[in-house]
Amino acid sequence: MSSPHGGLDDQIERLMQCKPLAEPEVRALCEKAKEILMEESNVQPVKSPVTICGDIHGQFHDLAELFRIGGKCPDTNYLFMGDYVDRGYYSVETVTLLVALKVRYPQRITILRGNHESRQITQVYGFYDECLRKYGNANVWKTFTDLFDYFPLTALVESEIFCLHGGLSPSIETLDNIRNFDRVQEVPHEGPMCDLLWSDPDDRCGWGISPRGAGYTFGQDISEQFNHTNSLRLIARAHQLVMEGFNWAHEQKVVTIFSAPNYCYRCGNMASILEVDDCREHTFIQFEPAPRRGEPDVTRRTPDYFL
Amino acid sequence: MSNPGSLPASAHHEHEHTPLCRSCGAPTTSPTPAPWSGTTDSPPPAYRPIRLPAINAPTNTAAIVLSPVPQPLPVPPAAPPHAFLVPAKRITSPDDIARFHASVHGLHFLGFVAALSASVHGRKLSDPLPSPPSPAIAALLDLVSALAALVASTPPLPHSSRYGNPAFRLWHEKLTDSASELISRITATASSPADLAGADVELAPYLLDSFGNATRIDYGTGHETNFAAFLYCLARLGLITEPDYPAVVLRVFTAYLDLMRTLQDTYQLEPAGSHGVWGLDDYHFLPFIFGSAQLIDHKYMKPKSIHNPDILENFSKEYMYLACVAYVKKVKKGPFMEHSPMLDDISGVANWKKVNSGLLKMYKAEVLEKVPIMQHFLFGSLIKWED
Repeated sequence: MSSPHGGLDDQIERLMQCKPLAEPEVRALCEKAKEILMEESNVQPVKSPVTICGDIHGQFHDLAELFRIGGKCPDTNYLFMGDYVDRGYYSVETVTLLVALKVRYPQRITILRGNHESRQITQVYGFYDECLRKYGNANVWKTFTDLFDYFPLTALVESEIFCLHGGLSPSIETLDNIRNFDRVQEVPHEGPMCDLLWSDPDDRCGWGISPRGAGYTFGQDISEQFNHTNSLRLIARAHQLVMEGFNWAHEQKVVTIFSAPNYCYRCGNMASILEVDDCREHTFIQFEPAPRRGEPDVTRRTPDYFL
Repeated sequence: MSNPGSLPASAHHEHEHTPLCRSCGAPTTSPTPAPWSGTTDSPPPAYRPIRLPAINAPTNTAAIVLSPVPQPLPVPPAAPPHAFLVPAKRITSPDDIARFHASVHGLHFLGFVAALSASVHGRKLSDPLPSPPSPAIAALLDLVSALAALVASTPPLPHSSRYGNPAFRLWHEKLTDSASELISRITATASSPADLAGADVELAPYLLDSFGNATRIDYGTGHETNFAAFLYCLARLGLITEPDYPAVVLRVFTAYLDLMRTLQDTYQLEPAGSHGVWGLDDYHFLPFIFGSAQLIDHKYMKPKSIHNPDILENFSKEYMYLACVAYVKKVKKGPFMEHSPMLDDISGVANWKKVNSGLLKMYKAEVLEKVPIMQHFLFGSLIKWED
């Protein structure tokens, strides 16, 4: 007899080989994912042991390398802090795989929203173009960007490690402030939801205007106050390219994790993931781009502008 | 559940290494390259991306295919007396984008870019141009040289991040300090310089925003577009005229591009607004347009020639498009079709005329019609915001 997860297991196996699903399969998968994600909190509780990951940006083979190094899901629990799409060549395969794993093992993998999980951003930075090229229309882009609205904004590991894509907000003092607002919307241009996905830690104290044009920069005094108020030990976040794959700030109370090695095929950076074991010990695992095995076998296709 | 059928891709694209005559690029022999087969040493790819049939593609494709190719337009002269303004940002929404493109200045700005492109059809960088250059062209070249000299006097600072060397802020401060004086050397070339008193107030902000953002230490197609806007303003003031256009592209723009590569490499400017693999380049768009125009009707070089390393090596000095492809190949690692699928796809287009017209359409759609990029575009009296 076939298992209730037979179709989904087959899809995951195909996705692990970097084969995109057909459009109807994507639609059905995202419907199931929506039902799961809408039940999750804006501050989603997560148990240790868990491996915390940063930006992926469509680098599918490097995501596969991450799973080789960190362990397969569901044997290893994972927490991904957003930015699955844009920039890389394989955003479709990357985000589909992570969503499929979420549907298949909802308690073993947590997927948060990054600033790139947005309609406006993906129309500029590549995911929209990729969907057009790989599916011939924008339906899959619409399906995913509608689903992105349901991704939780932050996670809380064992009540003491606060995880999110960007950083803090002057509008947010407590975790309850985050729990209480309606996240199911396009990422706004300003306000607390925007800040959680766009802000960055800074060496300078206090709040600063972010050079990104969205979110804020926040100093050590801000993160110390936030950690104290909410009984937190650590803020783990992604959003910034760091050459070693991780970077401590604010006297080891804020850490940046970046999981896309040789970002944009040119940066030469390492990637890393953070293992938190069931005694809450931290271990960073660094990794380099996945070894390439021959040229991908893809036909050229004339972009519409040139027809 | 049943799995819908799909067709795996089976074609292989081949890389040509035909030896070439070094003077004109013609192939000297024509061996047939062996197709890839399972018997070669390299193992077959571990994965085969599925090419799904397009659904509803005709509707979307038709919209882009049928959109008009931007056409060259003459720049409307700005008549004295001038009321120069400090230009300001006006675009914040898709509605604003639509209003800009429906306006006289939106049409003429795009027409100016198309006219610059048309002016270099079939021209090499080394083609002779009027000598001495017109006074405005000479002043522009001096401006770029002066800015390049500022790089030499502003070495990068010690710095650990991949991007954003803070010495760029020092360089940009020097640019800011000298901008008015550099601009006055250009306006001094006018037939009636007195009419242009105060022009630097309006022109300087375009110039300052042409080399990247000093706060973020980044650069992208929006900054490049601001440089084109700066040139457009000079054209509106009559400082640049249509006979100057080939020199604007082949001398001034290439000097600007060389300077930008120096700034990008020296100060590690972060790509602003990068589409990643889905753009042409992480920093530039216009040199692909101008470079493809240069190659129109070339006897031997075709769009697929970018895959020939000998062509790239021997002809990058003459054709901006080839120089840009060579640069991408130098700085990016991994398979070309993965890190640059747009350039790879464009290499399959039949001729350079099609490439050029497609790139002009793409520039309008992907740069001039995008809010995150155009929110930084500046409007004053020479490029006026219509309320």
